Amino acid sequence: MNYLLLCFAALMLYGIKLMSSPKTAVLGNALGAGAMLAAIAVALLEAGILTYPLLWAGLGVGTALGWVAAVKVLMIQMPQMVAALNGLGGGASALVGLVLALQGEAVGAFAHFTTGLTIAVGALTFGGSALAAAKLHGVVSQRPQELPRHAAVVTVVTVLSLASLFFAGRTAAFVQLILALVFGVLLTMRVGGADMPITISLLNSLSGVAGAIAGFPLKNPLLVAVGGIVGASGFILTQIMCRAMNRSLLSILTGRTTVTGTPSRESGLEAPTQAASACQWEQALAEAERVAIIPGYGMAVAQAQLQVKELIDLLEAGHKEVKVGIHPVAGRMPGHMNVLLAEVDVPYEKLHDMEAINEFLPGADLAIVVGANDVVNPAAMAQPGTPIYGMPIIRADLAKHVMVLNYDTQPGYAGVPNSLYEEPHVSLLLGDAKETLEKVLGFLRQPQKEVAGGRPSAEAGKFLSQAEQVIIVPGYGMALAAAQHQVRELVDVLQGRGIQVKIGIHPVAGRMPGHMNVLLAEVDIPYDMLYTLDEINPEFSSTDVVLVVGANDVVNPAAQTAEGTPIYGMPILSVSDARHVVVCNLDRSPGYAGVPNALYNMPHCLFVEGDASQTLREIISVLTEQG
Amino acid sequence: MSYLLLIAILVVATLLGYRVISEVPSLLHTPLMSGMNALSGITVVGALLAAAGAITTGRRFLGFLAIVFATINVVAGFLVTHRMLKMFRSGGGSE
Repeated sequence: MNYLLLCFAALMLYGIKLMSSPKTAVLGNALGAGAMLAAIAVALLEAGILTYPLLWAGLGVGTALGWVAAVKVLMIQMPQMVAALNGLGGGASALVGLVLALQGEAVGAFAHFTTGLTIAVGALTFGGSALAAAKLHGVVSQRPQELPRHAAVVTVVTVLSLASLFFAGRTAAFVQLILALVFGVLLTMRVGGADMPITISLLNSLSGVAGAIAGFPLKNPLLVAVGGIVGASGFILTQIMCRAMNRSLLSILTGRTTVTGTPSRESGLEAPTQAASACQWEQALAEAERVAIIPGYGMAVAQAQLQVKELIDLLEAGHKEVKVGIHPVAGRMPGHMNVLLAEVDVPYEKLHDMEAINEFLPGADLAIVVGANDVVNPAAMAQPGTPIYGMPIIRADLAKHVMVLNYDTQPGYAGVPNSLYEEPHVSLLLGDAKETLEKVLGFLRQPQKEVAGGRPSAEAGKFLSQAEQVIIVPGYGMALAAAQHQVRELVDVLQGRGIQVKIGIHPVAGRMPGHMNVLLAEVDIPYDMLYTLDEINPEFSSTDVVLVVGANDVVNPAAQTAEGTPIYGMPILSVSDARHVVVCNLDRSPGYAGVPNALYNMPHCLFVEGDASQTLREIISVLTEQG
Repeated sequence: MSYLLLIAILVVATLLGYRVISEVPSLLHTPLMSGMNALSGITVVGALLAAAGAITTGRRFLGFLAIVFATINVVAGFLVTHRMLKMFRSGGGSE
């Protein structure tokens, strides 16, 4: 039987192993849940307690409450959810220990001692987690709180707690329980908001340890093994968090690393800096090609993750390379930022850890800091003696330009003024991150039109100049604009640069069968450059740039998805398979079939608006200017 | 099962857990933690045994409470982990 129980533990461990990749993690979690269910069933069967209504009532009530909580909880509330669950796990173990102690069935010193220890560790976890959850939920202030003579009180409680473990019996059990509860509260009291990732990890670990110890008086190997695994997990996270904040566990728990007062040197800094940099960031944003976004707790507070997602989309629509850099302790628990961004559908490939983003930043044109402070504060490297000195940071300061979207210029949690704010290449956009991001998004949304004369065509020229294979897709718009001459010229320029050019012709492009072929033949484009729908479609995926000239419905991906529309089911040229799509159409209005073109909104699509002969001329001049 | 063997199991499980969990990328640290919440609900097994053996009303109530706490952990832990993991999608759009 014990071997069977250990098999369950092994299954759960294998489930965790599957958590090494987002692709298999869902399965891993399900495996763990299945193993847990089996373990509960076996426990009920083995002890012959299947028919106790009390047990089923407990399981029923717990399932209902747990289910509702898990379904109702918002992603932004995940830190307090995890903290609360830590507490319940510890509390359950403490209660198990308490019942065992009251029953007085334990035999021998070791059993007595481990029963007491179960109560103590469990109650400590419960007390600490309850306060942590309350702080995270905003019920209690997140600031570190101290009792008068806090250190002395902690010492006394610690000594009494330890001493109480050497007594057995009913009275001792209640004393252990109460002392440990108080101890947990005293411990978490002094921990403030930004140190929560460490505290939560530690409590996570302790909730496992409590379960493991409860396994001793019960002589249950499953509790011991699984509790040990959970303990190890929390311990690893605690270690990682401590390393990432460059703090020792002891200094966090004794509240020594945070400055509670508000330093008074930031006034007068805000207004001038902001005014001076108002125009800078717009230019930096428009010109940047490699952008790093660094979110922090401020993003969570302002609930600006949707805006961050839109920022990423808009930047990518402008063909910028965007990476999101996440500091291990950004937010209130390990992986906090990752969860928030995953919730708004930011693909996880875009999220990079500190090491990866720090390799990217020296070559980045722009770093956008959203509600992050201490984790990007260069003072961590330069100012010995400050609490954050030596803490590894994300080097936002290495980017050519930095936009800081923070609430104000107050020092961060550690109380150290952020020297980043004073550097010349930094623009401060102060205020609620949601609002400042909207401002930035507003700027990004309109530029296409504003700079239509030069920028998109310049961008298009750049893509073409870097391409190895280009496919041109003409449509009726080319005929209307009489742009076939420019197409011919462009083909010559591209071929002169050694770029392979093909032309893809849709059977119904234009107003008659073979319309495009005729127009292109007219300007002496050899017919062996012209490819039919079936010939060209497999080629798009290996193509660098597709240039659409006045074609609309025949390249509209909606034909494959939009049921009920006139074009549904029509074979199209699958231009969206290419790396870049440049569309030289007169405007964005729907084509002949009246179905809006889904292509235009794709992130890799660059829209060059205007008369095709005009826009093609611009693109050609960009290419020839480059030599 | 002897205490010595149990201690050995604790050590081995902790070390194995340490190795396996070290491989979990920081991307998934929050789901990892909530998954651990669920696993720490393993105490439910102890709670069931303790509650079944309780002989007074007070102890039965404490046992009942322990079962409720631990079951919340198990159910909410796995569910919330599942919810989170489902959100992580690849940029390739597959799945």
